[in-house]
Amino acid sequence: MAEDKYNLKNPAVKRILQEVKEMQANPSDDFMSLPLEENIFEWQFAIRGPGDSEFEGGIYHGRIQLPAEYPFKPPSFMLLTPNGRFETQTKICLSISNHHPEHWQPSWSVRTALVALIAFMPTNPNGALGSLDYKKEERRVLAIKSREAPPKFGTPERQKLIDEIHGYMLSKAPPIPQSGSSDVSAEKPTNEEADVQVTSEPAELAAAEEELQNPPANYRIVEEPVQEIRPEVVRVAREVPSSRPTAQAEQRRLETRVHKPAEDRLFTWAAIGLTLAIVVLLLKKFMKASAHGSVFIDES
Amino acid sequence: MQNQENVDADGKVESVVSIQTSEYDSWGNLGDDDIMLQKSAVFVQEAEKVPFVGDKEPLSSLEAEYKSGSPILLEKIKVLSGQYAAIRRTRGDGNCFFRSFMFSYLEHILESQDSTEVDRIKTNVENCRKTLRSLGYTEFTFEDFFALFLEQLESALQGNETSISHDELVIRSRDQSISDYVVMFFRFVTSGEIQKRSEFFEPFIMGLTNGTVDQFCKSAVEPMGEESDHVHIIALSDALGVPIRVLYLDRSSCDSGGLSVNHHDFVPASEVSSDSTGSEIKIPFITLLYRPGHYDILYPK
Repeated sequence: MAEDKYNLKNPAVKRILQEVKEMQANPSDDFMSLPLEENIFEWQFAIRGPGDSEFEGGIYHGRIQLPAEYPFKPPSFMLLTPNGRFETQTKICLSISNHHPEHWQPSWSVRTALVALIAFMPTNPNGALGSLDYKKEERRVLAIKSREAPPKFGTPERQKLIDEIHGYMLSKAPPIPQSGSSDVSAEKPTNEEADVQVTSEPAELAAAEEELQNPPANYRIVEEPVQEIRPEVVRVAREVPSSRPTAQAEQRRLETRVHKPAEDRLFTWAAIGLTLAIVVLLLKKFMKASAHGSVFIDES
Repeated sequence: MQNQENVDADGKVESVVSIQTSEYDSWGNLGDDDIMLQKSAVFVQEAEKVPFVGDKEPLSSLEAEYKSGSPILLEKIKVLSGQYAAIRRTRGDGNCFFRSFMFSYLEHILESQDSTEVDRIKTNVENCRKTLRSLGYTEFTFEDFFALFLEQLESALQGNETSISHDELVIRSRDQSISDYVVMFFRFVTSGEIQKRSEFFEPFIMGLTNGTVDQFCKSAVEPMGEESDHVHIIALSDALGVPIRVLYLDRSSCDSGGLSVNHHDFVPASEVSSDSTGSEIKIPFITLLYRPGHYDILYPK
């Protein structure tokens, strides 16, 4: 692979290449993970939703970033497939044991961490940062949706790897659990349209949720090249047109409000004019009448 | 334990520098590990003022450190200077015991050229490897660390093309990509020994924490930067068969008048039993100075 590109004297590189080799030599049905060809510190992975849970049958993609000090410093994990347990594109806090906040240790590996991540999915998030607490039904829907297509993310090379991993996971995956939700997959459009929805729709949900749960959780990838955050861009782009009509209506309402005072003045003048006219007419009539009357009185 | 790095033996707490946040929020949320990173960043900033392994300094430098400090400590340093000539400080980053042991041991090999000792420890290292394997550790997670230690051991012996000078040993001990790997090697060895003899270590560990032996190894032995306690020293000394002397410089004093500096020799279990036939117990060639929360290397006169 990339052996010639890296300094094999670098202990982190040496270790990572060994993990790649081991990962390929002992494939698992539960997960698959490989580094990008251009950067062995960046991995893609997919895990299978644990059986006997609402995640069963789901294929969840994510990315791993290994630090330069690996294995002294822990890898960072981030999910890309909407799952209802972890926010997508948000670093997952991998304190592997719930009871004891354990530190990362060099005797762990990407494999260990992935196994832990699978085991972690059905646990109660307890309000941890980057966690979501969707209802089981919603998670089941997302699990089924997750099989249709892998998420769209990053460079074409990365996408190729994601697609490959997805194909592998599908080939190893058991059939979808039949829990009467087949209609959900039936109504979904295929291919690219589906992708956009997969990436954008739950992200919007998540965004709404964030406002309620953890406002400061909104830190997004900063250091990554622009194309990496494409799904995010797509989401924003789709949101803007949908919000425009209401904005225009609002503006129109404002304009009419601006016109009102002028119209009011006009009406006032008209009313005053009419009142004056009536008063004049009444006076005229009164004069006539009184003249008559006076004549009448005079006569009488 | 980590906080104690900032507390010197005199009980003065040094103020801690400001926290830098900007570097750590680049990847997603500020999760628990980011907060941990920040905490350790503060800690690292303080520690980085000292190299992993310092230069050899005369013991008078220790005296100067406590000039206006406790009279008990000054008195004890005077006692120490009767027997010890110099001190070599190590960085207070939570790895100071292992780092001191590393330098002290390799320096001893370099100076003594004791190839019997090298052969002996190699056998122990291989046993440690077997221990880890039998405990279910994946080979690739520890083999690099083992290889790097054996490499250093080999180059301490002269006459090979890889042989190193004393200066080179100092340089390597300050090079993170070597120094941290050797420290981690010792952590693996220590963890393996504790787990192998968990029945023996359990009571000690129960006294330190409420957790199990397994939890202790995962949270207090294997992670870098976790401070060492008696349990670590006993386990490392036993596993490698290397005796260690520790001198305790604290403010304790006995009423009987004359002050003395307490010391304890950690003698490997194997050596105690084999020497029970009557032969004298060797004086450890590794001597460490312990001040609450920190270990440095001492040189006898």
